[in-house]
Order: sequence, then C-alpha cells, then structure tokens
Amino acid sequence: MAIAPVAYGSSLARGQIRATDTPDLSRLHQPLLPHLQVQFPVPEVPLVFRGHIQQGREMAKCVVSNLQICYPLPGGSALVTFDDPNVAKQVLQQKEHKIDVEEFRLRVQVQPLELPMLTTIQVSSQLSDQKVLISGIPAGLKLSEEELLDKLEIFFGKTKNGGGDVETRELLQGGVMLGFTKDGVAQQLCQKGQFTVPLGKQQFPLRVSPYLSGKLHKAEVRSQPVPQSVLVLNIPDVLDGPELQDILEIHFQKPTRGGGEVEAVTVVPTGQRRLAVFTARWS
Amino acid sequence: MATDEVDIKQALKEEWPDEVMKDEQNQKLIDGLEKEIIQLEEELQKHKAELQETTRNSQIHEDIPETKIKFTALENPESDRQFSNISYSCQVNSKVPYELQKGQALITFEKEEVAQKVIRMESHHVQIQGVKVKVMAKPVSLKSGIRFQVHVEVSKMKINVTEIPDELPESQMRDKLELSFSKSRNGGGEVECVEYDRQARSAVITFVESGVADRILKMDDYPLYINENCHRVMVAPYTETHLEKFQVFSGVSKNTVLLIGLEDLWMKDEETVEDFINIHFQREKNGGGEVEVVKCSLRQPHIVYFEE
Repeated sequence: MAIAPVAYGSSLARGQIRATDTPDLSRLHQPLLPHLQVQFPVPEVPLVFRGHIQQGREMAKCVVSNLQICYPLPGGSALVTFDDPNVAKQVLQQKEHKIDVEEFRLRVQVQPLELPMLTTIQVSSQLSDQKVLISGIPAGLKLSEEELLDKLEIFFGKTKNGGGDVETRELLQGGVMLGFTKDGVAQQLCQKGQFTVPLGKQQFPLRVSPYLSGKLHKAEVRSQPVPQSVLVLNIPDVLDGPELQDILEIHFQKPTRGGGEVEAVTVVPTGQRRLAVFTARWS
Repeated sequence: MATDEVDIKQALKEEWPDEVMKDEQNQKLIDGLEKEIIQLEEELQKHKAELQETTRNSQIHEDIPETKIKFTALENPESDRQFSNISYSCQVNSKVPYELQKGQALITFEKEEVAQKVIRMESHHVQIQGVKVKVMAKPVSLKSGIRFQVHVEVSKMKINVTEIPDELPESQMRDKLELSFSKSRNGGGEVECVEYDRQARSAVITFVESGVADRILKMDDYPLYINENCHRVMVAPYTETHLEKFQVFSGVSKNTVLLIGLEDLWMKDEETVEDFINIHFQREKNGGGEVEVVKCSLRQPHIVYFEE
C-alpha cells in the first residue's frame, strides 16, 4: 500500500520530534506585501470637446502654445519689420543698401530673417527608475516655486527619510518631480508611498508615486522665414541709437528704394548684444 | 490507500498532539499565503495592463502645424550661452481622443454648472423631428494625455558635418577638417575645435566667431581638401533638443456631457439631430444653458478630441 508523504514525515521516529522541528510560520500572518496602489496618481486637467472630430489625418492631435524664439542680434544690427511682406521681399532683392545720411552714406547688408521651427515631434513615456512624482501639495501655500522645491529637496534628500541625493527637480502642474542620483531610492520612496513633510510652519501628508518620464524619439526643426522682417547687418558705428533708428526708418520707407510702410525698427548699437524675442502671431 | 493515511494521521495526533496542531495551523497559513500570492499576481497583471494603457496613451507622433511669428521684444542676453544659440521653446499638449459610440452625443456647455446640472437631472426628454426621445446624461470618462515643453537650441557656433570619407587616420583627418573649414574663401572661419567620429564619418566643428556657421549653412555641402583631392562633405545645423516639465495627466470633462439613447434615430441626418439637441439644451427650462457645440454619432462611431 502506498503511503502519501506527510509534511512531518521525516521526523516520524518516536522521540525525535522536537518543538523546533516544526517551523513557526505565524509571523507570516501579516499581508505578504504592502497593498499595491490601484493607480499611480496623475493630476487631473479639465478638458473640453470643441468640435474636433477625426476625419482622416487632417488636424493635429496636439496643441502648441507659448511659442517663443530668442534670436541673438549682434552689435551694429537692426531688425526692420514691414507691414507688407512683399515690401520686405523687394528690399531683399538688394543684398547691400546704401543709406544717405546728410554728408555721407552708410553701407549696410540686408538679409532675410529665418527662424527655427519645430515641425515634427515624436515622444513616448516610460516608467522612470530614478524619478518620483510628489503629489498632494496643498494649494494656497505661501511658498514660491524655488522655496517649495528647496523644502522638498531637503526632506527627500535625507537618507533618514528614505531618500537620497537629488539630481533633478521640476515643478509640474499638480505635483513636483524629483530625480535621484542613486538607483533604488525612487523605488524605496514609492513603496512607502505616504510621507509627512514640513513645508514652512506646518506639516502636510504628501504622496510619492512612480513618475512617467518623457522620451524624445524625434524632433524635426526646419528654418521658417519671417516674411515681413529683414535683418540689417554691419551698420557702421557713426550714429547713436535713436538717430540711427530714424535714419533707417526713413530709408526703408522710400518707395524709390523699394521700401514701404515700416511697422517697426529695432536697433542694436555697436558694441552691444541683444536677443530678439519672437512669439506666435495670434497669441 | 487513503485509510492508511488517516490511520497514520490519527496515530501521530495521539502521539504528538501539539506538533500536529502547529502543523495544521502552519498548513492553513501556507494555504492562506498561496491564495494571497495568486491575488497579488492578479493585481500585478492588472497594474501592468494599466501601465501599458497609460504609456500607450502617453505618446505623440505629430506634425506641428505652421505658426506665424512676430517680433515681440528686445532683451539683454543673460549669458554668453544665450548668445551662441537661437533658442526655440514651446508647450505641447496632447488632445485626448474619445470614441463616441453609435446612438451617443456629446454636448459642451459654456458653463460648468449647467453641464453638472444636466448630468444630475439624468434623464431628459428631447423632441427630435416630432419624436420624443428619452436621453440619459452622463459624465464623460476620459483617458490620459501628456503635456511637456520642448526646448531647441540651434547653434550659431557649431555645425554638423557628415559623409566624411574614411581615408586618413583620425588625427590627420581632424587636421584636414580644421584646415578646410578655416578657409575664408570657401566661407569658413577660425576653428575653435573639431570633434571627429571616424566610425560615424561625422564631425562637429566649433568656430571662434558667430556668423561663420550661418554662412556655411547657406549651402548643403562644403569642400574638404585631402591631399590633391576635394571632397564635398554635407553640412547641417547643430541642434540640441530636450524636453522639460513632462507630465502625464488624466483628462476630466467638466463642461462636456455624454448623452446616450439615440440608437433609434439611426436613419436620421446627424446635423439635424444635433440642431434639435442644441435647441433643447439651450433652454433654461430644460435645465440647460448656453451651448458651445453638439456632436452625435448615429450610424457609425466617431473619434473626437478633447483639449484644454
């Protein structure tokens, strides 16, 4: 007859069983692992349907805003913007312009203005090993962005709090991202999940969860002309700012010189440097 | 045989009652733990699926529509670095897709309170071309989207050079590159440094002065002199792009309401039905208010996009 082996079969010999032979598993009464959170929190953003319906692949499925381009202008240069892009085109037909100023002539170079524009973007997200999202930060805290980031970095930078050296930090809508130098810190913090953190005079319960970071796969940048503007370069240093501005405006308004109605003239005097800031036209 | 087991167990119980009891307790614990492990594995699978879903929704592969730009201001550069690059930055927010099923409609109200009231009222009786239709109002459940900033720096001091022939040892080729790109008669200028990758057949040339890069980039290629021969190498702008403030967000619809119960209207014209719904919900006495847009799906589902 077959006897099925029983758990304590090896110690069946009478008198050989001791209390310590049978393992005590009572300590495993507690849940095996801390309960996994149902969904790591992401901030809510209110969205609205405005009538955008998919019809083939016509409309862009993303919205681009806050566009800003900073273009360095060297000393002895100017930016001239015309009302009519055709005037700009005409002015550009001549690479060099001779500007009459009382007794003498200024020789300047004229160039089209081209700015880099993002034309294609491909981005995906992946769970980060080193970054966490801190959420639950109460609204109405009287802390500046810098102060808030500092306080969070101080708290989560301490190993005694379960943290470590902070490498990156960013204020996001509805939370703060912290990135740690060492591996494992992020996981440790996410596992604990809840922390009471001093922010100013009070302490607040904050939540730490995994952060999905963005990965850039492709970003195509193309040069886009600014049709109404021209760059004037290598302006000799003979006139001061306001005078030069007037002279340029007069010159470029003359139809005989191929010019026309000037919307604006911005001058960078010799020896100085400036950034010309451009933004979206209908913003 | 089973009875032998029972006999043995009985005997053991009599001999060592405490041990047997402890063992039975342990066995119960083991069973409990096994159940918990199965439960946790299920939960883990669920989380994996949720993560996959979120990451799937957190992608963008888009052509960005052309934007017209205008001059806004003149500023002082804060550092030299700002002066060595043309910098571009923008905010990109994905539009969140939603599949509107057959027999459903979406209605967006100007005011959030109106939308919430319509949802609270639940059922609405709408007259559509002489037919009284019972329509249920529900909140819209939206997926997640992503938002981030893109920062691009186009260098005024550096250029990318490619298709460099692999004819010389590394150090010599670096010298040839420096010599060729210094020749002002070809549009070049004084070279600050050359980073040459022989295997990739490419290099990054940094010039001492701003303006040289622009000049060279007016053309697609540039002459590289190697001994008596002249090769045309390709030149392109040196660009660095990075993302900032990347964030996955969960869409929540406050002003847009889902209407269901239009299945019987499948033979009607969508625009007509939309008009009737619009008129009904414009009226305060119907619990409505100012309507921004209405869209319905009658014969096939439509994919629509929610935006900020």
